Amino acid sequence: MGEIILKNINKTFGNTKVLEDLNLKINDGEFAVLVGASGCGKTTLLRIIAGIGPATSGELFIDGEEVSDLAPGKRNIAMVFQNYAIYPNMTVKGNIEFGLKNNHVPKAERERLIAEVAESVGLTEYLKRKPNALSGGQRQRVALARAMVKNPKVFLMDEPLSNLDAKLRVAMRSELIELHNKLKTTFVYVTHDQVEAMSMADTIILMNKGVIQQQASPEVIYDDPNNVFTAQFIGTPSMNILPLKNGSFVGYRPEKVGLTPEETEAFYKVRGRIITREMLGSETLYKVQIISGEHQNETVMVKSLDSGFQEGQDAWVQVALKHLYFFDGKEQRIREADRAEDYGACVRCLKGEEA
Amino acid sequence: MRETEVKAAENLMDTNKNLPERASEKKKQRKRHFGRRILGALPPYIMTLPAMASFLLFTIYPILDMILLSFYEWNGLTERKWVGLGNYDYLFNIQIDFKIALKNTLVYTVAVVFFLQLFALIFSVWLQKDSRINSFVQRVMFFPHLCAMLAVSVVFSWLMDEQGLFNAVLEFFHIPGLRWLNDSTTAMISVVIVAVWKGIGYQALLLLSALKSIPADIFEAAELDNTPPLRKFFRITIPLLSPQLFFMLITITLNSFKVFDSVRIMTNGGPGKSTLVLVYYIYEYAQANLKYGVAAAAGVVLLIFLLILTVIYFRLIGKRVHYQ
Amino acid sequence: MARLTRKQKRAVKRAAGNTVNLIFKLFVSVLFLFPFYWMVTTSFKPYLETLKFPPTLWPQDFTFEGYVHVFQELDILSYIKNTLIVTGTVIVIQFFVNVPAAYAFAKWKFKGQGLMWGIVMTGFMIPGQLTFMTVYFMFADWGILKTLWPQIIPTCASAFSIFLLRQNFKQIPEELVESAKLDGSSEWKILWRLMVPMSKATMVTTILFSFINHWNAYFWPLVMTRDEDLKPITLAIERLKNLEQGLNYTDIMAGNVILVLPLVILFLLASKKIIQAMAYRGMK
Repeated sequence: MGEIILKNINKTFGNTKVLEDLNLKINDGEFAVLVGASGCGKTTLLRIIAGIGPATSGELFIDGEEVSDLAPGKRNIAMVFQNYAIYPNMTVKGNIEFGLKNNHVPKAERERLIAEVAESVGLTEYLKRKPNALSGGQRQRVALARAMVKNPKVFLMDEPLSNLDAKLRVAMRSELIELHNKLKTTFVYVTHDQVEAMSMADTIILMNKGVIQQQASPEVIYDDPNNVFTAQFIGTPSMNILPLKNGSFVGYRPEKVGLTPEETEAFYKVRGRIITREMLGSETLYKVQIISGEHQNETVMVKSLDSGFQEGQDAWVQVALKHLYFFDGKEQRIREADRAEDYGACVRCLKGEEA
Repeated sequence: MRETEVKAAENLMDTNKNLPERASEKKKQRKRHFGRRILGALPPYIMTLPAMASFLLFTIYPILDMILLSFYEWNGLTERKWVGLGNYDYLFNIQIDFKIALKNTLVYTVAVVFFLQLFALIFSVWLQKDSRINSFVQRVMFFPHLCAMLAVSVVFSWLMDEQGLFNAVLEFFHIPGLRWLNDSTTAMISVVIVAVWKGIGYQALLLLSALKSIPADIFEAAELDNTPPLRKFFRITIPLLSPQLFFMLITITLNSFKVFDSVRIMTNGGPGKSTLVLVYYIYEYAQANLKYGVAAAAGVVLLIFLLILTVIYFRLIGKRVHYQ
Repeated sequence: MARLTRKQKRAVKRAAGNTVNLIFKLFVSVLFLFPFYWMVTTSFKPYLETLKFPPTLWPQDFTFEGYVHVFQELDILSYIKNTLIVTGTVIVIQFFVNVPAAYAFAKWKFKGQGLMWGIVMTGFMIPGQLTFMTVYFMFADWGILKTLWPQIIPTCASAFSIFLLRQNFKQIPEELVESAKLDGSSEWKILWRLMVPMSKATMVTTILFSFINHWNAYFWPLVMTRDEDLKPITLAIERLKNLEQGLNYTDIMAGNVILVLPLVILFLLASKKIIQAMAYRGMK
């Protein structure tokens, strides 16, 4: 139904290239989250799909049909905007009804659809109100209802939760997941918040400077990142990355480090001194300065269940081999499976066996 | 610095309240303090004095004097003679030309307001997108606003001359020429054309900046809602511009009521009395007829119109941002 | 194939639409530029050519006689001199009248402030068309009708400038004023050394408005002056139009060109700034 394919998409604003030769496929019914720092091109990409900021060149298929020269209103898609973009001069009902009227849906049918959708987002008693008499959360629901009532093939959402307060945001997050489970329509959701991306997505599409870094499920993107950028973007605090003598890099996640007072038999171990200590509740976050080996004086973050270490105290930082990630000089991942030789070199380099 | 010293001294004295010999000193202190307070309050009055004097002398006093004068008969030389409501009687019951002037002013205002708003709206939406040609057209349209109404009127008198270019163009299309300013049926239309031509660029500019302040995503949402262009214009653009449109309605009306320059240059109120407007009437009665009482009474009528509009105008400023 | 043609059709349609759009825009530009073109070309036509019907689009015999008449017979320079003296004096006096007033309204709280602000706003709304009678006789009493002062004094306080400057002064943070006071600066020093330099852009805007208003002033000088040697440039043009020997459009347009030319130059130099200022004025 709502499969989206982008082929060789280019987008320039004036002289600046925002997207270059971008290819992407989003499967039907998938909850795809476009995530990246601001200015990475994720919103640009969404607007290309919506048709409100068309690509400079390239092809766009929705449900197998080339739509790049089709007006946004004819693409059978719906969009929820960051600032909701609800019509301030119309009532809630007017807002939901506007698109239906434009598409010549008969009145009886309209009434039925509006009642249905208002019920499902909990707006029934607000239908006659004007938007300025609504709270932020309610406006968000109006925007959602306006999108849902069109029964589109694809839902596009541009940071829809960013204007809500923290509590409401978490609540709306799970509501959106439920909504997706119920509708089984393709969702394309843009956010800069990696936590939001991890918690909602079937597929995360991580972008940086207009280039897709990795497209994978949250599990894969966390456990098996393609490159340094992905490894560091996903997860808080971000992955520790340290240089190796052969020009490669080694990385490990703070939460995979074993912090012990005594040395153990782990593959990777260095002495460290606790610089700062942040109690997070169930876990404790330490900033540790390495005081032995080739990474002397570098600092790493360590997340540990053990809250017993004090500032100034020395401890062993230890990581198992399976939790170590290696990256080449171009910051691309070296996997044992496909680059066994490079992988071996890195392992030996880390062990200090070969310079 | 000194103020803090004084305060410190006061505090010190407060602690020694009971000592009687301090009392006289305290009084002195207070006196000095009082003097300083007066001095301290003076600067704003000094700073506003020239401006206030000017407004009192050249706005407030003349207005009061005009209201007073409207109850007198006066030719500017002899003593003023009290006639009560005689001048108003003259305006509304004895002579017909004031009523003509009033009617003409209203016709002119309605026409200018309507066409200016209509065209400004069309042009602002049409030239909305940021592009070189659009900003060029905007600028070209705006320039007449800078020019003196006199300059524009002079050029249009020439264009509207019976032997002028407009008639030549009409002739070219085999349409019989018009007498424009020399015909009582077309003179008012001609004056309106000039006002609209001169004002369009400015009004379009105001609407353009109002348009730009509307969040773009609302128009994008309308596009995604498959809204046809005309429907978008009437259901989204106009309602969202309505505060600015209403604001413009008031300001254009205010200015149209004061129309004088173009009438004076192009028609002198004629032919007949077909373009006689309020201010022209006042001017004529004061400068040519030397009937200052009548002119003042007509001024009072204009003043009342302006007051009503201004009250609406200031009410509006407070309520500018309807939405969001 | 079918899809391709659909795409092509759209492209053709779009290109056609763009062309029509562009033609319309050029047409509108001509509509607004043409009167100025007509003014300039007429000013270079000999008198007899202006009488021709249909008129010539371009002067057949190019002549400067209009300009010669305007400068020599009419002596337009003396009118321009009057305008410039009036405008310059007003701008200088306005600076010393409006800036302190605006500062007082922006940064002070004083008794009667509301009433005084009301007076300023009254000055804003009452046009000269209502006050000229009384003011004229007042100046007659003062015995200054035979000078340029009647054109200068009444406009020395400008409600609009005070309003604009007050808005600007209000935006200057209170802490700056406080710290200047702590440094021992007097009120006057704060005003001239701190507020004025920080409001340069607004000052330029108010000067711009004053210049345009006085260069174009018509009604006020018309009712204030009887003597030809006190009249500003606008009244010189009017005089050309009312000459007894009939309309000579060559001369009239030559005069008009001189009237409009400074504004053209100003606009070419600073159209962006002017448009911004005007837009602000209309939105305030």
